[in-house]
Amino acid sequence: MIAVELRKLFRRPRTWVTIGLLNGLPVLVAVLLALTDLAPRPGEGPVFLSAVLTNGTLYPLAALAIVLPLFLPIAVSVVAGEAVAGEAQAGTLRYLLARPAGRTRLLIAKLVAVIAFVLVTVVVVAAVGYLTGQLLFDVSPIGGTALSGTTLTSQEIAGRTLLAIGYVTVSMLGVAAFALFFSTLTDSPLGATLGALAVLIASSLLFTLDAASAFAPYLPTRYWLAFVDLFRDPVLWRDVVRGVALQGVYVVVLVGAAWANFTTKDVTS
Amino acid sequence: MVGLVAVLLALPSVIGALPASDAGTPAADLRRAVLASADVPFAGYAQSAGGLDLPVGDQLTSAADLLSDRTTMRAWYRGPADWRVDVVAPTGETGVHADPGGTWTWTWERAVATRTAPSPLALPTAPDLLPSALGRRLLSEATDAELSRIGADRLAGRDALGVRLRPADTASSVSRVDVWVDDASGVPLRVQVFGADDGQAALDTGFLEFEPTTPPAEVTAFDPPPEAELREGQDAQLLQSATRAAADGHRVRLPAALAGLDRRTIEGAPRSVGLYGRGVTLLAVSPLPGRAADGLRDALVRAPGVVVDHLGVRISAGPLGLMLVDGEDGPVLLTGTVDLDALATAATDLVPAW
Repeated sequence: MIAVELRKLFRRPRTWVTIGLLNGLPVLVAVLLALTDLAPRPGEGPVFLSAVLTNGTLYPLAALAIVLPLFLPIAVSVVAGEAVAGEAQAGTLRYLLARPAGRTRLLIAKLVAVIAFVLVTVVVVAAVGYLTGQLLFDVSPIGGTALSGTTLTSQEIAGRTLLAIGYVTVSMLGVAAFALFFSTLTDSPLGATLGALAVLIASSLLFTLDAASAFAPYLPTRYWLAFVDLFRDPVLWRDVVRGVALQGVYVVVLVGAAWANFTTKDVTS
Repeated sequence: MVGLVAVLLALPSVIGALPASDAGTPAADLRRAVLASADVPFAGYAQSAGGLDLPVGDQLTSAADLLSDRTTMRAWYRGPADWRVDVVAPTGETGVHADPGGTWTWTWERAVATRTAPSPLALPTAPDLLPSALGRRLLSEATDAELSRIGADRLAGRDALGVRLRPADTASSVSRVDVWVDDASGVPLRVQVFGADDGQAALDTGFLEFEPTTPPAEVTAFDPPPEAELREGQDAQLLQSATRAAADGHRVRLPAALAGLDRRTIEGAPRSVGLYGRGVTLLAVSPLPGRAADGLRDALVRAPGVVVDHLGVRISAGPLGLMLVDGEDGPVLLTGTVDLDALATAATDLVPAW
């Protein structure tokens, strides 16, 4: 069943159009930077972007930072929100459940497909960012500079970039869990997607308020940018570890709630 | 499931509420332990939050930001002349590395490494906000009569003993300073500075993680990266202004006392700058060139709560007071941890014609 869901997801043109569009903005930004030589002022704009003009090796990270706040969560919400509600809206859910596999296995298959989409999407963004950085910007042969001013070898940058890809993927799993949970509550994939995005927008807004600082550590978007800490020296693991743990809790609780809801609801469509 | 979530959410509060062990150390002994902790090595992660919204224009931007924002710091401390403090931001990092010859300041966003020689008088920077440095500085001149104990707390997973400083000077705008001291090492773990409003701290800085271990030497050392732009550090813009004004013949007659605060000497400080007071009650007096004073005056007069009269323009932000007066030879800046009445008295002492 997992293979069926994966095939269905990745044979759908819409999936690749989504991934393609997601890469459009970082590529456009890179082209503009390369043509104009105008990087954002220090401390402004997405992280790493002001540094790529002198070292294109960092562009995969800049690309992730560009899509992380909005476009990546939208893409993940659309795909995860459609997982169950999309089948219900299309009238195919009851036929899927007519198979002896059972609801739990179907939900697991949907979950694995969503996780695969998140991973593939993040890897493609980083890969396109790498190619863009190598083609459009100068690349330092000795590696690069950590945020702390120490020199990182090319191997160290590659290793830390892989860790950042993994971290961003984990960060997006929380978004996917919200959308998947909402997807089991409604027959409208749009409603599930918007529900997940509403949670993220609320989280981002509350994070900026000092009055909400008491529960800021529990907001789903709180640690998204902590992948930057992987490029400090020594690596600042504090927020990275907290980010992974927080997303883990959201995924366990929301997928558990989705399972409890999905296995007990009346499926009529 | 709901129960599990509730337990997970409650865990931090439960752990935080665990009773701390109070060793019953007298306040004066705690102060001595703090002053003796300058050689204690440690590594830590700290946050400071300031509520001092100073309307200072371009003259003191970095210091004003420091005192009005939340600042997150990582610190590695091997000794008084071998340490490193990084200010970590979501989009970058500024690290200060100290060695016996001075400091390197590395700013990643600008790829600039600045070498600065030790200065006897400088505006506050992020390393000054580290609880260990700030606590030692604030308690350094406190008398035993100004100190009292305030119980114990658990901070950064360690037992911390509280000591309260209530300054005796009537001119002081600081109502109290609470310092929480690591029972085992004597290093201050948290410092809270309160203005006249005793309710909320005007400045609150504390370690969230603290390890009394010796960091490796390679962590505190700094070699500028190849692509870094190297700069020589200069005195803060305001001190440059004071020196420039003095060079232009604009000197301030600095009396032996201002607003009841005695003048103190600081070896190596610009002669045009006067410092008065003791402990946490300090007042600095400095001449300003006309252009710098104009910018500052424009920022001050637009700020809410400003007092403008024949003495000059004065304002307070929490325990910090700022006043611009027109001296006999030009504008003079008065700033420090004194209240508005003390600033007015100081202005009168400074320009007797009033």
